[in-house]
Amino acid sequence: MTDRYEAKKIAEELEEPVDEASNLAHKLGLSPYPVNYWIVDYDEMNELIAYGGFQQRYPHWRWGMQYDQQQKQSQFLGGKAFEIVNNDNPSHAFLQESNTMADQKAVITHVEAHADFFANNEWFGMFADNPDAAAMLARHADAIREYMLDPDIDRAAVEKWIDHVLCLEDNIDQHEVFGPVETEHRDELVDADEDAEDLSERLDELDLSEEVKGQVFDEEWLEAQRSEGEVTFPAEPEKDVLGFLRKHGMQYDEDAGKAVGMTDWQREILEILRREAYYFAPQKMSKVMNEGWAAYWESVMMTKEAFAGTDEFISYADHMAQVLGSPGLNPYKLGLQLWQYVENTTNRREVVERILRVDGITWRNVHDRVDFETVQDLIAPDSAITSITPDSLDELDAEDPRIDAEGLESARAGEFDVSTYPWKVLTYEGLAERHYSLVEPQNRGFVSRVSQAELERVSRYMFDDSRYETVEEALADIDYTRGWDRMREIRESHNDVTFLDEFLTQEFVDDNDYFTYEFTQSTGDYRVTSTDYEDVKKKLMLRFTNFGKPTVVVADGNYNNRNELLLAHKYNGVMLDIEQAKDTLKRVFHLWGRPVNLKTIVKELDEHDIEVAKRRDREPEPEERGKLIRYDGEEVEVRDLDWEDVEDIAATEVDYDTKPDEWLA
Amino acid sequence: MGLEDDLERYREVGEERRQDLAEFIQYGDLGQSRPDEVKIPIKIVDLPEFAYDQRDMGGVGQGEGAEEGQPVGEPQPQPGDGDEDGEPGEEGGEHEYYEMDPEEFAQELDEELGLDLEPKGKQVVEEKEGDFTDMTRTGPSSTLDFEQLFKKGLKRKLAMDFDRDFVREALKVDGMGPASVFEWAREEHIPVSKAWLEDEYGELSSEEKTAWASMDEMEDNVERTSTADRIRREGIDSIPYRREDERYRYPEIIEEREKNVVVVNIRDVSGSMREKKRELVERTFTPLDWYLTGKYDNAEFVYIAHDAEAWEVDRDEFFGIRSGGGTRISSAYELAAAVLEEEYPWSDWNRYVFAAGDSENSSNDTEEQVIPLMEQIPANLHAYVETQPSGNAINATHAEEVERHFRESGDVAVAYVSKPADVVDAIYTILSTEEQHD
Repeated sequence: MTDRYEAKKIAEELEEPVDEASNLAHKLGLSPYPVNYWIVDYDEMNELIAYGGFQQRYPHWRWGMQYDQQQKQSQFLGGKAFEIVNNDNPSHAFLQESNTMADQKAVITHVEAHADFFANNEWFGMFADNPDAAAMLARHADAIREYMLDPDIDRAAVEKWIDHVLCLEDNIDQHEVFGPVETEHRDELVDADEDAEDLSERLDELDLSEEVKGQVFDEEWLEAQRSEGEVTFPAEPEKDVLGFLRKHGMQYDEDAGKAVGMTDWQREILEILRREAYYFAPQKMSKVMNEGWAAYWESVMMTKEAFAGTDEFISYADHMAQVLGSPGLNPYKLGLQLWQYVENTTNRREVVERILRVDGITWRNVHDRVDFETVQDLIAPDSAITSITPDSLDELDAEDPRIDAEGLESARAGEFDVSTYPWKVLTYEGLAERHYSLVEPQNRGFVSRVSQAELERVSRYMFDDSRYETVEEALADIDYTRGWDRMREIRESHNDVTFLDEFLTQEFVDDNDYFTYEFTQSTGDYRVTSTDYEDVKKKLMLRFTNFGKPTVVVADGNYNNRNELLLAHKYNGVMLDIEQAKDTLKRVFHLWGRPVNLKTIVKELDEHDIEVAKRRDREPEPEERGKLIRYDGEEVEVRDLDWEDVEDIAATEVDYDTKPDEWLA
Repeated sequence: MGLEDDLERYREVGEERRQDLAEFIQYGDLGQSRPDEVKIPIKIVDLPEFAYDQRDMGGVGQGEGAEEGQPVGEPQPQPGDGDEDGEPGEEGGEHEYYEMDPEEFAQELDEELGLDLEPKGKQVVEEKEGDFTDMTRTGPSSTLDFEQLFKKGLKRKLAMDFDRDFVREALKVDGMGPASVFEWAREEHIPVSKAWLEDEYGELSSEEKTAWASMDEMEDNVERTSTADRIRREGIDSIPYRREDERYRYPEIIEEREKNVVVVNIRDVSGSMREKKRELVERTFTPLDWYLTGKYDNAEFVYIAHDAEAWEVDRDEFFGIRSGGGTRISSAYELAAAVLEEEYPWSDWNRYVFAAGDSENSSNDTEEQVIPLMEQIPANLHAYVETQPSGNAINATHAEEVERHFRESGDVAVAYVSKPADVVDAIYTILSTEEQHD
């Protein structure tokens, strides 16, 4: 048990960084949940990662799969530092004991920012304000484990049931507040279906002879009982497919060869997994924002406030390069870049607004009248704020709003070392000025690149436009906190989709080299199609809207008046992976108990068109066609639908295809 | 229950989801594997879900200087996805690979096809003494590693040594005795024993015992020397050698295994061999290579490409080469004969000579040149694989001629592959030919 000793030693060393990271986070305007830190070893860390950040989850092979991958991956990466933090109040975060001090500090600062995001982003309130997640997940684990150990329940059947439900874990209505489907008040929820089921069960109990049953209470009669008085439901298409199945689904009894009501354990597991899907949804919906947010504040604290000691800095920089430098579209990097862009544009707007208020300067003549080199000098933060040393303490004025009077007093009294924690003598205003983004080397020129269009837009809403005599006078009034204030507002109300939609611009796409690509038939591979921001935005929307998954809703729970389920894929121009959809439908069958259908639209190309496309180097135009996929428990059947049958699900305005027009045949 | 259990269940599930071996050979992605490691794809995300068609979806990339129409690689899995915050199973539709070594592959193929090929004879396993590089704790004194012993001894000496004069002076301080000096020495990290102090103290006269009034006075007047300085000045009189530090050099044992096989792969690369045919050859030859690698301790491969001429190539190039020339199959056999003669004598090597092509050959070459050469090259097995995706061309008669001629012989196999589905049968035909012959 030397580990425990080791862990304790590490915990002691980390106490100060943990406290100070929290203090600094508050100083920077963040308001995180309190965070409890736990020291774990390498194996425990891998376990936590496999379990999605928690210590107890229900038994399932999927965690084993993730553990296996995690191990392979960390072997490959040489066991790099990971950070795990739970959306909970207080949040729980885990630190791996073998990490270097620099890594630990990076993780801690990163975690503080996540905890702030959890506490303040409105989407996280959709599940519950105080989720008490660890306890909830542990309860779920216990309940499911009990079912598995129950000698009356086949363990394999439980596992299969979990698999079926997990196939639909993204088919919830994540934009609605989570509401449980109650189990207790059965009568309220009882529908014709369950009545009919009860009826057939009751008939079984009567122990009638087969003849009597066959003659009097035959399937036709039962069917009639079922469909009597029934109309098409749900009234509106239902996006919470899991919830709908929880209410109206049945299981398919292999032996009896028909649908029977779900058992209690089936119903409860369905509800448990649905609740977990809702709990994890906000994290999936704000990955770019949340990771970017954490990376942004981590870098402010670690680099700009020198939270990493000089000796730790190299190893920290190396770590960051590894995280951000990985290939492909990297949500961390996209998020970080977008937050930095928001900060820069907000700050630039402040500068521009001040300049436009100078007498005689209008949006038309800014670039002629204003020397941006001088502007750059004028907006530079006060050196008294940027370089605080033990010697400069005497020159600071406790009355200055940028100075934290209390902090200054204890610094002067020598209660802490001001060369280690210079930020302690500053207020939020002081820190905002100290870390003003527009003067950083990589952002020099950002102000001068302001476009004529933006200048015009800003000036359109300005009335008080000759308040200042000179540029000097105007820029002396700059509000340095505007960038950070705006960032906090955005982190409260946005999710990835709205964030990308609102803030992605051509300037951003150009500065950060984003592009779109498509599969082209003529070459048989993926080609770059566009660097236009509207295109990039469309493709990102596709990836982040609805978890990057197609929208599938319940259209009818009594399809063709035969109690079949009809799901509808709301086609947006991008087709389904049809093979996977068939497999998924087979799973849905087990949760509905009766035949299931899926209405969709596919794009068809015949071999000939592709041949021609290859020869002429022109993209063929696929034909869109309605399809109905049906699974009745035995085989999958696909048939064409007339266009009027699919008109309701057909794509309308947005075209996600970014191929240039001239490529088309 | 717990993660262990989950992991075990995953392994079971993963095993079930591995692509069937025959299906893998016929349609799978062979390119992920290497000669010494066969990788068979299993789907990672095995639970289906409603998802977009990957190709129809397209995507966003990042990189400088992207221009319309430039090719981008296959969309890459995105690291950072699903590694935290609980996003189980978001890895997308990528594949995981079930890794097999060729031995396992051979074994499974045996099971699947009902083969049972035993690698034959020519196995000489020999033990030879190599360089004296291993270490042991006992041995003849001539193999003692003295340098190592000396270093260990020196380390020991440095650890045990201390400034005797200085400690002796401490005993002379008024009020200090062996016990109190011992206490002091411990604090100073001086490795002195209590017995030594007692001996030395006993030898001091009563005047000497009060020579210094205090420790401070003593320390001010007596100069301390570090062990390193003292050794440099005085040299080392003795090194404390210890038996436990002794190491003896020991020769490495080298096993020379000689259960050898050489496989000659010959491929027609002439103009008539189009893409589809090339792929069929690769699908047939590659599993044969793996299989034989798995069966033998030591497998070597010779790759020969030919049109009207023949030349040796590396494996990497072998399946990709295309040339424009005509076809003379005997050129390849001439080269094969020379290479085998030179480097892989029949007395030491099992030999397999596999050739593939579309059966087109220059007139009379088969009859007059190739068949005599095949008879002259001693080998466990000769095989010809005809790859004709669209049935027979009129002048494609090489395979038939060979088959007719060697009908009675047990060490020549001819197989026909016109589509991927034929590959497994062809492999069976080839490998079972040797078995029967056995």
